[in-house]
Amino acid sequence: MAASELCYLTIGEAGIGLRQKHFSAVELADACLDRIDAHDAKLHSFITLTADLALEQARQADKELSTGHDRGPLHGIPIALKDLYATKGIRTTCHSAVLANWIPDHDATTVIKLRDAGTVLLGKLGMHEFAFGGPSVDAPFPAVRNPWNLAHIPGGSSSGSGAALAAGFCYGALGSDTGGSIRTPASHCGIVGIKPTYGRCSRYGVIPLSWSLDHTGPMARSVEDCAILLQVLAGYDALDNASANVAVPNFQTGMKDGIKSLRVGVPRNNWFNENLGIDPQTESAFNQALQVLESLGAQIVDIDGQPFSLARKANQTILTCEAYAYHEATYQKTPMKFGSSVRRRMLEGAFLSAADYLTAQRARAVLNDQIRANFATVDVFAVPGAARPPEAFDNMDPNEQNMRPSFTNPFNLGGLPAISVPCGFTEGNLPAGIQFVAPAFEEATCFRVGYAYEQATEWHNHRPAI
Amino acid sequence: MVQDLSLNQLRELAERAALKLPDDELAKLLPGVNRARRQADELRQLVNAQTEPAGHFGADKGN
Repeated sequence: MAASELCYLTIGEAGIGLRQKHFSAVELADACLDRIDAHDAKLHSFITLTADLALEQARQADKELSTGHDRGPLHGIPIALKDLYATKGIRTTCHSAVLANWIPDHDATTVIKLRDAGTVLLGKLGMHEFAFGGPSVDAPFPAVRNPWNLAHIPGGSSSGSGAALAAGFCYGALGSDTGGSIRTPASHCGIVGIKPTYGRCSRYGVIPLSWSLDHTGPMARSVEDCAILLQVLAGYDALDNASANVAVPNFQTGMKDGIKSLRVGVPRNNWFNENLGIDPQTESAFNQALQVLESLGAQIVDIDGQPFSLARKANQTILTCEAYAYHEATYQKTPMKFGSSVRRRMLEGAFLSAADYLTAQRARAVLNDQIRANFATVDVFAVPGAARPPEAFDNMDPNEQNMRPSFTNPFNLGGLPAISVPCGFTEGNLPAGIQFVAPAFEEATCFRVGYAYEQATEWHNHRPAI
Repeated sequence: MVQDLSLNQLRELAERAALKLPDDELAKLLPGVNRARRQADELRQLVNAQTEPAGHFGADKGN
């Protein structure tokens, strides 16, 4: 098998190949490391490579698998982590000068879970600085580029996770999502990402952006791979105050049962046309995806988009206040150590009042009730992954995102599980995604709809020419 | 409706918050701060006297 084919296997396919001895875990890791070495100078998806550790973990995986010690579907699989997951003894920077040399003395809970599952850690991935603002053009590490077109952003804040997966550098990655930071890069890079229910995956050991909106979750190249990763990541963690003590189902059970008669709510009215509205090509890809869902037996139902539209205001107010509170002492001492993009967005929180913050939390309660009430008449929501194709670096307008609908952050506000799946391309061969959103703790429904759509289309099989 | 801040008012608020920001940085911050304040203010229309914030302290949870 050619190295490039090896690098684009799914986790499921790689697992079969390892167990049938078509290749070893060391060969998988080597293939990824060689590909990173050949191409990442253009993409900048990795901040820190852990090649020696990866090869040591791969050798250990080969040894264990050869002696019948099988840790499950992630055993021997190369993965990478957004650089805000604490990794004991490995630099964790948040893509910032503030933490440029921080070496944690502990691991995030999710990092421990992935290691115990036998994964092979390739390294730490670039991101938007402290998971906020835009691409970090004045940070100590270069901004991550989109593998589909290097002149364009990959989306963020889990930029490196999206780019590395699309480029075939790893088989799975962790992102984090406070307003869309898993789903936006998934959509912009043509891969799959799920933001699970708030509390489903531990946040312990992940540098906070906004405590009440932060979610951790997996990104991969297929819906099934995301389900495999989430199976390992999910579960109660006493170290995380927001962790939910809720049973974790088998996320693959029922995944292939189809979506006949599933009611899909589309909150188009009063939302998709907000301010500048959705980009026409993006909307066209979304509408074609809805037709595919209908052809699979789903019913498309119009629902009111007004509370979804208003959710952005509450999300942004809460986010900036909580983010500034976390970083306040550093801003008071060394404000200019933060890059300009994150600094200007986060400092907004210094000038909002306690009443502003609590009013946003009160509005959150109202809007979440209105949004969740729709589940009386529909089973899932379908919305675009992003309002427009990824911008060119040379043409970025930091204000434009506030002039378009935000299709991601209502589901952070409500903590609802949401998956982004590739649904086509816009002009310039730039990917678009569609999100499926389910009631709390029903990630399995996200996987079922996502899998049915994915398998009915070819979008997930497209690869960028890097 | 909330009034936009002037640059002088922003400078004063920054000083009270123990933020040492140069004037050119404050000028770049000002539009975003005013947008954020207007946005936060609009949320007041969504709540009434009975609306409590999402999320509550729980004595049983100890946090």
